[in-house]
Amino acid sequence: MNFKERVLTAMNHEEADRVPVMGLIMDPATVNKMLGKKPVDFVGLLQKPVLGNQIKNLLSSNRFWNNMYYGNFSAAMQAAASLGFDANWAVYALMKLTRDPQASVGWSWYDPYGRVWELAADTEGNINVNYSRALCDTEEKWEKWVEEKAPLFETMLRNTAAFHRKLVKDHGGRIYPMCYAAPGPFENSWQPIGFVNFTRLIYQKPDFVKKVIAFQTDLCLRNLEAVMKSGVEVVLGGDDLGQKTGPLLRPELVEKLYGESYRRMADLVHQRGRKFVFHSCGNIYALLDKFVEWGFDGIITMEPTAGMDLGRVRAQVGHKLVLIGNLDVSYLVVKGTRQEIEDAVRKAIGDAARGGGYILSTSHSHPLVDPVRLQWMVEAAHKYGRYPIGG
Amino acid sequence: MPDDSLAQLQRGLLDLDMEAALAAVHNVIAGGNQARVKEAVDVVTRSLEVVGKRFQDGEWYLAELVYAGEIAKDVMNALSPLMQSGGSPSRGTLVIGTVAGDLHDLGKNIVVNFARSAGFAVVDLGVDVSAQKFAAAVREHGPAVLGMSCLLTSTESQLAGVIDALKTQGLRDKLKVVIGGAALSERAARDVGADAFAPDAVTGVDMMKKWSAPA
Ligand code: B1M
Repeated sequence: MNFKERVLTAMNHEEADRVPVMGLIMDPATVNKMLGKKPVDFVGLLQKPVLGNQIKNLLSSNRFWNNMYYGNFSAAMQAAASLGFDANWAVYALMKLTRDPQASVGWSWYDPYGRVWELAADTEGNINVNYSRALCDTEEKWEKWVEEKAPLFETMLRNTAAFHRKLVKDHGGRIYPMCYAAPGPFENSWQPIGFVNFTRLIYQKPDFVKKVIAFQTDLCLRNLEAVMKSGVEVVLGGDDLGQKTGPLLRPELVEKLYGESYRRMADLVHQRGRKFVFHSCGNIYALLDKFVEWGFDGIITMEPTAGMDLGRVRAQVGHKLVLIGNLDVSYLVVKGTRQEIEDAVRKAIGDAARGGGYILSTSHSHPLVDPVRLQWMVEAAHKYGRYPIGG
Repeated sequence: MPDDSLAQLQRGLLDLDMEAALAAVHNVIAGGNQARVKEAVDVVTRSLEVVGKRFQDGEWYLAELVYAGEIAKDVMNALSPLMQSGGSPSRGTLVIGTVAGDLHDLGKNIVVNFARSAGFAVVDLGVDVSAQKFAAAVREHGPAVLGMSCLLTSTESQLAGVIDALKTQGLRDKLKVVIGGAALSERAARDVGADAFAPDAVTGVDMMKKWSAPA
């Protein structure tokens, strides 16, 4: 069996030759470390007096951004394939460099949705980009923003389709790209507005909230269409619906506000003959039955630090959802010993892989995830993941 | 007719009805009675304890905790001009922030809101706060408590860095340090030399209140 057959067999809840292993490799620090590449310190260069302006112009151009962004994910695919992963996730994002007095380096990325992404570099110069704040904290600002950014949304969708198509063309022969249409309608509705403001609006201006969600749902459906142009059989979508102790919103409220959106997303993917896998961090036991009801085919993450236990998830949703993830990123793949990694891999496989329907992976990525430990994880999966499990 | 403004205020907070809570507090203010203002502040504090318990017991979800905090904030803002003329005493200052490299702020913001409503003067340094910035704020504001939020394994080492900076500058013994956030545990508190780990905002603010209570 090759990597693709292995992944698709697991997605069908059938036993492949062995349990597939998926990477969530994307942080430039991890990618560069894996490939022994020296990063270009764009953030440092940006602060140089004359050169800074040229770098700013470069970073602001759609073409340069796309090349740089693609380069990182292309390298991630390459690195993941060379470690023996069967699949790796990939997500496209569009950002515009903007002068920002609130940012420590004086510049931030603004994305088309109305979010600010802090631009930073680690000590080696690896670029770090993280959501830091909302740009549309009032109804008026949000309305104005989406009107003004209409052309940018179109650029983003075109870029998304081109990014995934190229990734599949360039790497699909060696590894299965799990193409991710992120973020989902929940994150896209609260993050440009801010969580506290958004919560106030849920109670005080429910009609406005409905409008925002409807807008973001349509955009998200178009994003899924763009991703599917790559031809992949499995599409990822997602929203962080959980935090450490439970869902961020009461499950009934999630259903009321977003149920329809999620149903439409799953339906669209099914109409195109693909499968829909949903990513959410945090403790989401209370939403698992909803995921089945909304028509999701699988879930990815199951964060152990938020109390998600693979055996318990399997017991709750049986083989109704394909499960991907669960290996700890707070200790195991950062500092864990080889034995600890073997034990965790064996346990995950024992808990969830019988009968297919499980793809082994970590529960997230961050710059301290150690490639050597990822390698041990893959090796352990090859050792303990042969079907029949435990036979 | 008996004035049921305080009961209405409590209902507003516990039923998440901002309008009712603010109407009640405006009645209290219109009465111009200092003692009633003080009682209203106590109602807010007691209601937030109930809110916190509901969240800890899994009866309420994060958005409800956040919105209750927002109602409390607006109520306290309405009351604050009257509190200055003889109202509720400050429990001291809390300096708080999310450590360098970490931009998660939802949890920290809840702690800020609850601490303010509990009577702390809060200096919120925001996210991605360096050890130097924490230490400088401690020197400037002389807080009773320093709070640090940290959600990432990759930034855990920053906590020890801040505490080392406090020690080097002779500031550590003058305050309590509490840490919180998804990546942390009691053990992290011991390892980095903090006084406590708070699993949630309510427990964190409770600790701060205990520390600041007169002996
Ligand atoms: C001082 O006293 C106190 C006292 C109590 C205190 C306290 C201080 N601080 C907190 N508390 C306590 O009180 C609060 C309420 O009771 C609680 O606060 P919390 O902050 O825990 O809870 C909040 C109220 C709600 N919870 C949250 O807000 C966090 C939820 C999860 C899903 C989460 C979110 C939302 C986000 N994230 Co991120 N995120 C996850 C989270 C999963 C999880 N298990 O929590 C976590 C924390 N993230 C993670 C990661 C990896 C990342 N995230 C990232 C980004 C993001 C978003 C931007 C998408 C968003 C943050 C938005 C924002 N403005 O905050 C990236 C890092 C960005 C950065 N540099 O900061 C990135 C690195 C992803 C990447 N590769 O880009 C993981 C960390 C893993 C690890 N061990 O390091 C993670 C656990 C998810 C996972 N699947 O593993 C208590 O902890």
